[in-house]
Amino acid sequence: MGEHLTFIASVTALLVRAVPVTLLILAVSGVCATALATGLTAMSVARSPLPRLIQRTWTFLFRGTPLILQIFMIYYGFAMVPWIRHGILWTAFRDPVFCTCLAMTCCCSAYIAEIFRGALAAVPRGEIEAGRACGMTGFMLLRRVIAPSLVRIALPSYSNEIIMMTKSTSLASTITVLDITGVAQQVIAHSYRTLEVFCAAAALYLLINAGLSALLAALERRLDVDRAVPSISVPPTLEPLS
Amino acid sequence: MTVPPPVLTATNIRKSFGDREVLAGISLEAREGEVISILGGSGSGKSTFLRCLNLLEVPDEGQIAIGDVQAPLARNRHGRLEVSDGRAAARLRMQTAMVFQGFNLWPHLTVLQNVMEAPLRVHRRDRDEVLATARSLLERVGMAGFHAAYPKRLSGGQQQRVAIARALATNPKLVLFDEPTSALDPERVREVLALMRSLAEEGRTMIVVTHEMAFARDVSGRVVHLMNGRVESSGSPAHMFGADATAAFRAFLAPAAL
Repeated sequence: MGEHLTFIASVTALLVRAVPVTLLILAVSGVCATALATGLTAMSVARSPLPRLIQRTWTFLFRGTPLILQIFMIYYGFAMVPWIRHGILWTAFRDPVFCTCLAMTCCCSAYIAEIFRGALAAVPRGEIEAGRACGMTGFMLLRRVIAPSLVRIALPSYSNEIIMMTKSTSLASTITVLDITGVAQQVIAHSYRTLEVFCAAAALYLLINAGLSALLAALERRLDVDRAVPSISVPPTLEPLS
Repeated sequence: MTVPPPVLTATNIRKSFGDREVLAGISLEAREGEVISILGGSGSGKSTFLRCLNLLEVPDEGQIAIGDVQAPLARNRHGRLEVSDGRAAARLRMQTAMVFQGFNLWPHLTVLQNVMEAPLRVHRRDRDEVLATARSLLERVGMAGFHAAYPKRLSGGQQQRVAIARALATNPKLVLFDEPTSALDPERVREVLALMRSLAEEGRTMIVVTHEMAFARDVSGRVVHLMNGRVESSGSPAHMFGADATAAFRAFLAPAAL
């Protein structure tokens, strides 16, 4: 039993060193996918049909195909394209971390854009009309009225998507990235002790996601005006209509 | 005595939704300090008409002016009327305010922030001034103790009183009320009507779409009865609720008299 524990401890120490790689992929693709999704959402409500068509096609392609195939296509597939292979782009596309981030950005932006699109449709029309009625337009209306409601509506689903993304980063290990899963498979190749290593890796993902969940839940609580208890003091008195 | 200048001039407003003609050419002029009640059965077009006045709905035909500023309506290449200049439309709306049936307060802002939002962000007025105005308005509508409360925590009547304070915060030339008491239970209706009456008494120019006959009769200076998208009859309350009332308006009033 003691031998098990020392092995798990030493494996965990190795895996912990791979945590920054996992977090890097998550952070880069999380930020880029969210930014891209914001653009896609704007396109989905554009007046002219072309941006709407682009958004729909984007969603259709990247939501409809497996992420792992997208990663393979970018990492292995683009290496077959001469002008990428021999061009300046090769410095980026030869890097498996870059390829993972790119694939995840494309794929997850499609999902996040759908979340934002649904939330946008759910922003009460009356709130927007109240903004327009007092003279708000364009960006101010978006920033002061639409966005605050949209964020609150989207946050639960968005949190879910971020948790999913954390787990998806493990696919990077299939194209040689030494993230948590990659290191775990390396250790197994040497030690053949599958269960302990995978358990230790799983525990690390659990920890990361527990942290993220807590963070996102805190944000949700912070934005939830219903929890902020106001100080209601003086009851109003008014002359009734005679 | 001189006649006060018109605050609103709406001429021959028409609007159809698909095949259904909702407004069949309505004209209305509101002079400074006037309180006009618009009455009519459901589907008579009264809310649509009100929403055309601040361009929340774009009429198919007609002209609207606030003061002497024309609403920026022009025909597009398909011949349909549309808002030709969004900024000009926004400037026009800045001169008016609207109180909605469903209150439509911004849920993520406190009562005080709701009232301060338009003068502060849209009109870019001085913060201290805006704060002072907001405080006195909330005091006025009986919501002084609720500055930090969020709208969700308030009753319907309280929300509507905050919405009225929000509407007054920019000191608009014209306040549009779209069935302000229809979503309230009877005891809350009274507090909102009392507030509206006091606004009328201080000389606010108001156009009120309402089902409250007592308000129309006792508070407004003019009553307009809409039927099938037209002005069926209009006049002073004494005239409209007196012996000269048209048969159609009497028929409209009849259920209320039971």
